[in-house]
This record gives sequence, structure tokens and C-alpha cells, in this order.
Amino acid sequence: MESFIEEMKRYLGFTEEDAAVLRSLGPRLVKYFPEMSERFYSQIPFHPNAFRVFTGSEAQIQRLKHTLQLWAAGLFRGIYDEGYAQERFQIGYRHVRIGLEQKYMISAMGIVRAYLNECLVQEFPATDERMEMSRVLGKILDLDLNLMCESYMHATVQNLRSLNEQMERANRELAGASHTKDEFLAHISHELRTPLNSVLGFSKLILDGLCASPEEERQLLKDVFASAQHLLGLVNDILDIGRIEAGKMVLHVEHVGLRDVLDSTLPLIAIQAAEKRITVVDETADLPLPAVHADEVRLRQVLLNVLTNAVKFTNEGTVRLRASYPDEAIASSDMLHMPCIRLEIEDTGIGIPPEKREVVFQKFVQADPSHSRRLGGTGLGLAISRRLIEMMGGSIGLESGKYGRGTLVWMTVPLAVRQQEEVIQA
Amino acid sequence: MPPPADTPRCILIVEDHPLVAKFYSLALERAGGFTCVVTEDVTEMLAYVEAGRVDLAILDVSLSGTEWEGHTIDGVELAHLLREHAPSRLPILLATAHAMAGDRERLMAASGADDYMEKPIYDAAHLVEKVRNLLRRNS
Repeated sequence: MESFIEEMKRYLGFTEEDAAVLRSLGPRLVKYFPEMSERFYSQIPFHPNAFRVFTGSEAQIQRLKHTLQLWAAGLFRGIYDEGYAQERFQIGYRHVRIGLEQKYMISAMGIVRAYLNECLVQEFPATDERMEMSRVLGKILDLDLNLMCESYMHATVQNLRSLNEQMERANRELAGASHTKDEFLAHISHELRTPLNSVLGFSKLILDGLCASPEEERQLLKDVFASAQHLLGLVNDILDIGRIEAGKMVLHVEHVGLRDVLDSTLPLIAIQAAEKRITVVDETADLPLPAVHADEVRLRQVLLNVLTNAVKFTNEGTVRLRASYPDEAIASSDMLHMPCIRLEIEDTGIGIPPEKREVVFQKFVQADPSHSRRLGGTGLGLAISRRLIEMMGGSIGLESGKYGRGTLVWMTVPLAVRQQEEVIQA
Repeated sequence: MPPPADTPRCILIVEDHPLVAKFYSLALERAGGFTCVVTEDVTEMLAYVEAGRVDLAILDVSLSGTEWEGHTIDGVELAHLLREHAPSRLPILLATAHAMAGDRERLMAASGADDYMEKPIYDAAHLVEKVRNLLRRNS
């Protein structure tokens, strides 16, 4: 395909003879170049927008005046090949980069053209000869300006293309986010309607006088209460997930005594455990536990969630709480060399099949939804727990219980060796 | 042969949330005089349906604990299965917490159900009226 410069030369009727004329013209015009650049720069910096571009001192303008003289020398060198075209393209690209618009360039080049024609009048008193020189000069100035303008266009197209790509990417991300949001909304709507059905249904039955006895009324009221509590749990969890996903979950991480956290959390599951005759064994009871670097409220939330799950999914046996310090070797690989304490909560319950051990950390996923429907739970607890623990710089996961049954949830929490206080936002 | 008028009509309730199932059966029994069978076990459902003992089925769509031939079966699939096994045309009412735009049309079309109710369903009289209408239309 014909290159741009060849196409332009053909269009302008630019010949080898013209090139030779320009080559011979150069030495006679070189003395006018300093004045030419003075006039050029008396024009271009005073365009309202171009003015902003020339932020440098007088030294910058001096440098640019010199550059313009080099440009003029090129104009009369007599070689107008691809190398020449590239050089001229570069000028346009540079102008786009610094924000010098094409319209200022074009009008300033008009000054150059007028001045060089004046020079021709000085140099060539004979009209015929001067007309010939002027014609050739006109061609090369047209060619040059076209090359620069072409590069302006290329650069602009490139900018537009990259802007377009950015917009497409943003669009795809938005579409994805919107889809996820729709799914999330559908899920929430579904989850809220089920307990609402019980709250509204049973209270309406009572109000309609459809109960057989006061005892039955009382039982239904208990169901209403339990469903309303479940709803409250859902609402709280949804708010947490919403905050996390909007990047608005703020943790106040400070030095927290792990003993205090455990001592204030364990009693909260004691009643449930006792009702099911499950023993809760705190193997850390006699250990000197360290301070951890954590958000106290959120760490308690995670522990309570995991302990509640353990009691909920265990029908007989024990729930054990252990603490240990993981190997540095293991610790350094995934915890960024942060010294951590590892907590384990192991139960003798129904367990979770290996293939479900990761998915239960996803939103609204339960290993066996029928269990949770009966036993309560929102399907959000572990998803929230994982995000909270990760925000604190720890990690959380599931394993099989030590004796091949039940579930073992482990979590690592960074020890309090870093700075005193920190606010972390998701 | 339709049962004599004084025999209570029997409603099969398939619902994975026990409290919701409890509400349906209480509402239908107390406000409508129906008898109810509540189960999530497909074999048991089919036994009732095949014996002609079920006059109408209320099916939840998302059924977490109901399996058939090795996979979890939902209310849509169950609607077809029950109809195949019923000796005469079985009216089906879908009762679901899927309430987003388009859910109703999609689920009605997929299941071939006769009617559709969105949770929360909490008015006993309204539920009884729906069921009676469906029974009347089917007779």
C-alpha cells in the first residue's frame, strides 16, 4: 500500500526536481531562520490555550526556537523519504502529548509560510525565478503540514481507541456487578420471605381465632418469635455483607486480649449447648493467651458464628476449642510473615463433605440447606467470617475432625506485634 | 369417581421449611376443613398420589431436602412427576418465595402448574379460597 508521504507527494505533484530546487534553496535561506523562529514564537504561545502549554521559562522558548530552526533545515535538506515522514509525524505526536492543539500549529505555520515568501522576495528579485521558488516552497510546506496533521489525527484516534477500550471494560464490569446485584437481591428477597411467612401466617392465624387452644396459640407465638429472630439475624448479616461488598466495612484493629474475647464469647453458646447436652471444652483455659491484632467486636462475631455452627450441627459429643502457634514455615507462606495464633474449633457433629469445604464460605451456600432450614442460619455467616478474618490479616478454613468425623474450623489471627491501632476498610 | 361431598378433600403439602408447612396445614385444616399430608419424601408422595388420595398438591419450588433417583428435585420437576403418577388430573399450586420479575411466568410455564402464590402467604381464608377454586375448576 502506498505510504502517506508518497500519496501526498503524488497529490501535490512533488517531483525529484522540486527536491533539488529545495536543496539549492536551503543555503540561501538559512540566514533567515532565526528571524523566522522569532516570528513563529511571537504567534503561537499567545493563543489562549496554547499559552498554557508553554509553562517553561524563557529558556524553554529559546530551546523551541532552536528546534524550529532544525525543522527548517530539514525542510531544505532535499530528502523526503519515509525517515522524513517519521520525523514529521513525531512532531505531531509530541504536540498531542503536551496538549498543543492542531489549530494553533496551522495558524503559526501560516506565519512561517508568509515570512519565507518575504525572504524569497529579498533573495530573488527576478519575478519568474521567485514565482518558481515560491511554488516549490508551497509544495513542501503543504507536505510538511499534512504530515504533522496526519500524526495529530493518528494520535487522536489512538487516544479515542484507548478511551473506548476503557469504557468497554467499565461497561463489562458494570454489567457484571449489576448482574451480581440482581442475583443477590433475588436471593435476599427469597430468604426474607420464608421467615416472614411464619411471622405473618401464625400471627394471622391467632388473630383470626383459628387456634384450637391457648396452648396452641402460645406454641405458635413461639414460632413467630423464633422466625422474627431469624429475620433479625438475616437483616444483620445482609447489612454486613452489603457493607463488605460496598467497601464500607470498617474495622478498628487494636491490641485485644484473646483471653477476654474467648471468655466473653463462650458463655453465649453455653445455653444452646446445654439444651443439646453437648460439652464445650475450652482447652485454652489454662494457657496464657497472647494479645492479638484484631477488631474485638468482629473477632467475637466470627468466633460466635463458628461456635454456634459447631453446636448447631452436633447432636451429641463435644465442641473443643484449641489454640496453637503455627510453624513459621507454614505461616510465612500465606500470612505475609505475620506471626499468628491459630484457633481451632472442632465438633463431633455431622461434618462437611470435602467437596463442600470451600463453597460454604460463599454467600447463601449451605452444605446441606435442609439442615439449615431446620436449624436456622442465613447462609451468610461463614462468608462474612472469612471476609472479616481476612481483613484482620488472618485466614479461616475447614477440615475434617481429627477422628474422621465432625468438622474442624481453624482460623489464624495476627499477634499484636505491629503498630498499636489501625483502621481497615474493606 | 369423585369422593362423596362430605369426605374432606386431601391436600399434599411439599415444603422444605417446617414452619411454613405447618402454617399451610393449620390454615387449610382450620379455615377450609381439608386434610393435609406434609412430606418431603418422593416415594411417600407418589404412594399417596397413585392411590388417588390426593386432590391437590401445593409445591414449593426450591426444595433442599427432596431427592429423587439420586438428585435433588425441585417443585417444577416434581409437578411433572406427580402428574405422571396421578390416576386423574392433579391440580397443582406452586407456592414459592421466588418473587422477582418474570419468576411467575417462568415457573408456571416450566411446571405446568394451575396457579401460583408468592410467599409470604399468610391469610388462611385467601389460601383456602385459592385451593377451593382450583378444585372446582378441576372437577
